[in-house]
Amino acid sequence: MTDLDEPIRSVVVVGGGIVGWSAAVALRRRVPGLAVTIVATDPPANALADRMAQTLPSTVGFHDDLGLREDDAVLRAGGTWRLGTLFEGWAEGLPGYVHAYGHYGQPFGTASFHHHWVRAAQVGSAAAFDEHSPAAVLARAGRIVPVGVEPEAPFAGMQPGLVLDVGRYRAMLAAFGRHLGVTVHDGEVAEVRLRGEDGFVEAVVLRDGSEIGGDLFVDAAGPAGIVRGRIDAVREDWSRWLRCDRLVQAEGAAAVPSPLDRVVAQEAGWQWTTSTPGGTVRGLCFASGLLAEDEARAQIAGDVVAFEQGTRPNAWARNCVAIGDAATVIEPLDWTNLHLAQSGIDRIVSMMPGRACHPLEIADYNRQAAAEVVRVRDFVLCHYATARRPEPFWQMSADLPASLTSTLALFAERGRLRFFEEETFARDDWLAVLLGQGFLPHRTDPLIGATPPDRSDAAMAGYRAAIARGISRFPTAADHHAAQMKRIAR
Amino acid sequence: METAERQRVVVVGGGTSGWMTAAALARLLPERCDVHLIESEAIGIIGVGEATLPHIRAFNERLGIVEADFMATTRATFKLGIEFRDWGRIGDSYIHPFGTFGRGTGDVQFHHYYARLLHAGVKLPPIEAFSMACTLARTNRFAPPATDARQIASTFGYAYQFDAVAFAPYLRRFAEALGARRSEGRIVDVDRDGESGDVNAVVLEDGRRIEGDLFVDCSGFAALLIGKALGEPFQDWSRWLPADRAVALPCRTETAVTPFTSAVAMPSGWRWRIPLQHRTGNGYVFASSFASEDIAADALTAAVEGTPLATPRVLKFTAGRRERAWAHNVVAIGLAGGFLEPLESTSLYLVQQGITALVELFPERRASSVDRDEFNRIVNMEYDRVRDFLILHYHATERDDSEFWNYVRTMPIPDSLAEKMELFRRRGRIVKYREGAFLDASWVSVYLGQRVMPSGYDPRATGPSIDSLVAGMEQMQAEIGAAVGAMPDHRSYLADYCPMPVAA
Repeated sequence: MTDLDEPIRSVVVVGGGIVGWSAAVALRRRVPGLAVTIVATDPPANALADRMAQTLPSTVGFHDDLGLREDDAVLRAGGTWRLGTLFEGWAEGLPGYVHAYGHYGQPFGTASFHHHWVRAAQVGSAAAFDEHSPAAVLARAGRIVPVGVEPEAPFAGMQPGLVLDVGRYRAMLAAFGRHLGVTVHDGEVAEVRLRGEDGFVEAVVLRDGSEIGGDLFVDAAGPAGIVRGRIDAVREDWSRWLRCDRLVQAEGAAAVPSPLDRVVAQEAGWQWTTSTPGGTVRGLCFASGLLAEDEARAQIAGDVVAFEQGTRPNAWARNCVAIGDAATVIEPLDWTNLHLAQSGIDRIVSMMPGRACHPLEIADYNRQAAAEVVRVRDFVLCHYATARRPEPFWQMSADLPASLTSTLALFAERGRLRFFEEETFARDDWLAVLLGQGFLPHRTDPLIGATPPDRSDAAMAGYRAAIARGISRFPTAADHHAAQMKRIAR
Repeated sequence: METAERQRVVVVGGGTSGWMTAAALARLLPERCDVHLIESEAIGIIGVGEATLPHIRAFNERLGIVEADFMATTRATFKLGIEFRDWGRIGDSYIHPFGTFGRGTGDVQFHHYYARLLHAGVKLPPIEAFSMACTLARTNRFAPPATDARQIASTFGYAYQFDAVAFAPYLRRFAEALGARRSEGRIVDVDRDGESGDVNAVVLEDGRRIEGDLFVDCSGFAALLIGKALGEPFQDWSRWLPADRAVALPCRTETAVTPFTSAVAMPSGWRWRIPLQHRTGNGYVFASSFASEDIAADALTAAVEGTPLATPRVLKFTAGRRERAWAHNVVAIGLAGGFLEPLESTSLYLVQQGITALVELFPERRASSVDRDEFNRIVNMEYDRVRDFLILHYHATERDDSEFWNYVRTMPIPDSLAEKMELFRRRGRIVKYREGAFLDASWVSVYLGQRVMPSGYDPRATGPSIDSLVAGMEQMQAEIGAAVGAMPDHRSYLADYCPMPVAA
């Protein structure tokens, strides 16, 4: 047996947005005996993972792993739950569709549910695909499954995402971090010092001259990559596929709260509306080459933020790992920003190397991280690749990435979705978007032959009926929120 | 919607893979295809006593095969894992279990805690003491796993050891009852379309011409269609897996009917021991560049435990696979598509993965390249991952007692495997993937069983105190001991559950 690799004893997190604080809290909480210091600089406005309020269901799991209860992480921090997104105008001639979190249909007969649906759709006899999603139907009705309740079929197994009040959420994490013993420095990084012999990050020097050293540095300070970028600037640009590069958002007066965000395709981008009990946020994500900033501000009166979509193929180099926008910048379509950041944090926790940050351990981290990022990009891009609108913005010129091309080809051919390691979105998420946008396969699973079409139709109708019968039992988002606030006030 | 016309499927070859394919297609795609299998009794089948992986149970279940009936007919026994003897060093023995070490739950894998305690100087038994499957196997007991996931008795799976010569006829009856046709005859010619290169028909010795839309090549090493007719290149892996012969010799069972297969390292390869209800299968897989057939046959005859029931029989092979198992309208399943020695009982697993992929990607009259590419991606990935796992067994050794072991110990290995080994050596990390035959516990068992010890471990394993970990391990051993003690002897379980027909 060779000698034990020296363990990492101290970590410095740079960046005081929700990404940086999430990292500091998770590392302190989940890795025994680790000293964690945070340089809690405010993140820049274009650090999207630090700014976007909407999250995927994975954030709830992230909280669970930290031992954070939903009362504290969501309700007391001004957050609420969301069930999905309504997409409108993405495919000309088709009604809007909902991408909700949870299952679409239930398996029956000899093939997966969607093959039954596709077979019916091919002869024009299918109801909308999202009418077979309990979460989608519930969300369209403005209703929600109460927190802590595990309902019966068909409503079982739903996993809501969140809408955060980013400011209060950050304060909650910061308080938790201090409670756990995270050392906090305010101020900004003025200099990043590399060690002579191996180029490892030795210390960050703040504007006030204080030096903070550590074994491992986590760059959570936004897209500039002020720490990670000192090692190298290798970056993969995605702008030929994902052409949005500006975003503007503004808060408005409260409307009827909805567990469903609305995302409407526009001439040169897309607009969103999220209505929570706390208020309504509207935003516009667009391509600056095709829509002037003035015109965008005329729609949404806020500050326009510029960003460049792309990723660092090696988020981790030497003893420095980038997370959040320092690692990957992606438009917030389908709200993957915080998910990617938190997934990176989970991965740091579970793949913590020794102090030497051996290249093989780092390469294994980067391999997994890149696999995940690429598939999130593919999922976001598939919205565009299968959209149908006449404007120049919506015409795909560049060849799609090979991984998405093969996904779409296999799906178009026979309705099959290939399995990828580290995939974020499950089969039903892909189906919601692909089938919602009318991207139908030519053929279905050969195994479906054993189930006659009329049996499929009856089963689908029965399932829709079961959903329709059940929804009135659930409270509206507004009633639910009020009841929860009353409960925690007691 | 495109109409799904019925396809004429011609299965070439009637061994285990041929009849597994025919049975699965007839059962699962009755509206999509007519199955016609051609076999020649003159050629015979390779089957030597088959050890399987737990996946076979899903295959049987999907076909509607009743376990006890199948086991009685094929004189099968249960299998909880594979015992490897003399691999790391002469005298070593470990079991690769179908199951977990520890409970298999929690964020941090059991072996990280185990490694931490070893580093702290705590004296621990081999890791298999913390595996329900291994402990059950070592005590020659068996009962099906518990279904309640909280019980330690739920932490294992099982497979079968059965007589492959009896399995093919069993599947044949099954397939024929579902409408599969069978023709007897030797194929002498293959008729290909001049333009597309697709196979139109195969021609038999007596002049019969059998047409088809899709041809499944189950002709074994002969590879009549994929190799001889289409010339699909074969990737030769013998530089990593030099064994190219096996000599087989069944014998009477003298010792226990073990609920596990044994793989015993030999001077120029390894020897299998597969206990069935009526006899024990033995074979010596060796590299002909290091030992002659006579030497191998003598070594095997000397090593088998009971009276030999036949004369030694030699098989020849080359490790590797076709570049593409599906080319044109020919799908190779089984040995025609590739061969990996049965060290980890993967032969039927690979057949099964091929069949599953074919059923899911079953083509229309003109197969699209998308179907073929996806099939080949899946099948190639399975072969490549099994390959690395097999090479590990040879390479992770300290043996220097023969030319063969000196070669495999020092040979260059694929980068993909070298990285996996180094990550385990450094931090006990298992390179993670969700697809493939062998997952974390399999790799852990071989690494630790063959003396590849991690120098580090997951830092989260330092959370609990040493004392509490030691107490937890003791408790787990006690729990396993109690669960194992409540299970019956393997042989008596078989006698109750699936005794072979007396007349057999």
